[in-house]
Amino acid sequence: MSSAPDLSVVVPFYNEEQNIERMYHALIDALVPLDRSFELVFVDDGSRDRTAAVAKALAERDSRVRLVKFRRNYGQTPAMAAGIECARGRVIITMDGDLQNDPTDIGLFLDTMATGYDIVVGWRHNRQDKLVSRKIPSRIANWLIGKVTGVPIRDNGCSLKAYRADLIKHIPLYSEMHRFIPAMASIAGPRIAEIKVKHHARQFGKSKYGISRTYKVLLDLMVIKTITRFTSRPLLWFSLLSLPLVVFGTIALVAGLMNGLGAHSISLPLTGSGLILLAATVTMIGAGAFGELVYRLGDIREGQFSRLTERFMASAETNSIEHLTSPALATSVRGPAQ
Amino acid sequence: MTQATRADISVIIPVGLRQDDLMELYEDYCAGLRALGHHFETIFVLDGPQTRAAATVRRIMESRPEISMLQLTRPFGESTALMAGFERATGSIILTLPAYSQIESGDIGKLVAGLNNADLCLAHRTPRRGGPLDAARRAIFHHMVSGITGSKVRDLGCGARAMRRQVLEEITLYGEQHRFLAVLANRQGFRVSEVDVRQSPQDHFAGHYATREYTRSLIDICSIFFLVRFTKRPLRFFGMIGVSTLSIGVAIVLYLVADRIFGNHALADRPALLLSSLLVVLGLQLFALGLLGELIIFTHAKNIKDYQIAEVVEFPSAGERPRIGRSDADHSGAEAGAPAVYAGR
Repeated sequence: MSSAPDLSVVVPFYNEEQNIERMYHALIDALVPLDRSFELVFVDDGSRDRTAAVAKALAERDSRVRLVKFRRNYGQTPAMAAGIECARGRVIITMDGDLQNDPTDIGLFLDTMATGYDIVVGWRHNRQDKLVSRKIPSRIANWLIGKVTGVPIRDNGCSLKAYRADLIKHIPLYSEMHRFIPAMASIAGPRIAEIKVKHHARQFGKSKYGISRTYKVLLDLMVIKTITRFTSRPLLWFSLLSLPLVVFGTIALVAGLMNGLGAHSISLPLTGSGLILLAATVTMIGAGAFGELVYRLGDIREGQFSRLTERFMASAETNSIEHLTSPALATSVRGPAQ
Repeated sequence: MTQATRADISVIIPVGLRQDDLMELYEDYCAGLRALGHHFETIFVLDGPQTRAAATVRRIMESRPEISMLQLTRPFGESTALMAGFERATGSIILTLPAYSQIESGDIGKLVAGLNNADLCLAHRTPRRGGPLDAARRAIFHHMVSGITGSKVRDLGCGARAMRRQVLEEITLYGEQHRFLAVLANRQGFRVSEVDVRQSPQDHFAGHYATREYTRSLIDICSIFFLVRFTKRPLRFFGMIGVSTLSIGVAIVLYLVADRIFGNHALADRPALLLSSLLVVLGLQLFALGLLGELIIFTHAKNIKDYQIAEVVEFPSAGERPRIGRSDADHSGAEAGAPAVYAGR
């Protein structure tokens, strides 16, 4: 098997010894009827139970299975990133290892991808989780993420997603960004569709999420905004951020000096704080200039991202545009509007 | 392990400012090393021009074939010396030993044996000499390090460590980082263990430079803190502090303004206004620093890879195993070959 498979399914596992074998069978049962070449990339995220042993046995038995092993637990994003790095398929599907996603949905993802999308995300429209601790915070977070990043996906937390391999392999993934992969990918302006997927309640093992992540999500959003919109223009971004400083600083300074026009003397606190705020603006702009330097020295060039999604069309092929119609079940989030 | 498997040990001895009589010391080490029954080589790395030490090592070299010497042209620090020595090392096990008596040479075997169930084995000198004040400082220091990093360490100051070759292939040490090799290795997913060794009777350095030791501990704590907390997500770190400062500042401003409107206290009479604007400014700048850090990480994400793949298992007949995920090790190998400038005989 030397040529690249059509499809790679990346599944990270962390302490899922009861689920991994089931997951394997469910995936094989779902993928074989699709009649495409595929590989399963299982990532063992430093599990302390028998997950790695079970996965290893599978990989040694079945040539379609590959196991990527971590030495310790790094977390879900590094696990996904490693799986994506090692995947060889032209389309990469990521999903959870806890059987909450249904592998039978994969066919629909592939059909949607085939209509010209770069990313297809799942939407767990009847989510099997607790309402207060999981669903409501997630709904607020998704709304906020959509507002800030401009990629209004209803369910960022759903791991079941499909990506065009050469796009996702070039998007830097690190830390805890897996929830924001479509947002991160938006730096390349991909065509994104959203489809409804089935969602099952967890059968075995424990859930690994808690609710104590709100402030992290907020700060991460700020990071995403900075990265996706202003990587190449940090000076502009920092200037925008220091705008309130300029406004309040000027007001305070003017008010302080105006005080001196009458019989009173110049107001020291007002003038002083005005000057402090204006001085801070200068350092903010300095930070922005520093950012320009950082961008120049780094290896990210925003121009390289346009190449990931561009589609060249010579006049002879204009009729290929008719492929770009969405299947009935997919909602276009952004992309082929034709 | 039997002798037939030819377990190669490379002993690296970085020779810095602090050194005992190398001849005597090496005889002592040799006795301990020979007792292991392994084939070993020794690399002396002279950190800077040291004519006396160089002469001594040359004299040792005359009688022993397993020794090599590497001279650095100026003092680069122990981390660089270790890495330079590692480039020349051929063994599958790397043993670093200090150029002064710290541990009883008879306990070297314990360190190597510790690698049976770990990738890096540190020495913990016990019982330790020194006054109660020193003991307290060490205890506080190591507790703080353990608290920040989550890896349990008890004697970071000991230069005797045994490790598998892989550890130094994946970790590039610089600056003062040799002291935190355990922390770095733990972060890369290596198993780290500690064995108790006896302290050498000649080991009496601490106490002479008390203030120096204290500042050094403090700086170490700071560097570990930044290494662990900051390098991954700068905005999480700076953002938290920045946002709290900013909100306190804004709260004070709002109170002052409300008091001006409803309570008729002139803003001009309020020194708190200065305080609040300073807080706002400080908060914003910390936040900006965090954002800048994130920009740096994003634009260098390719180099700062935050995971290491231990192995890729696939169907045996799948052909040649692709060397995916070890690219970092490859890089460090490539870099390792480059600076041949070190040896300045």
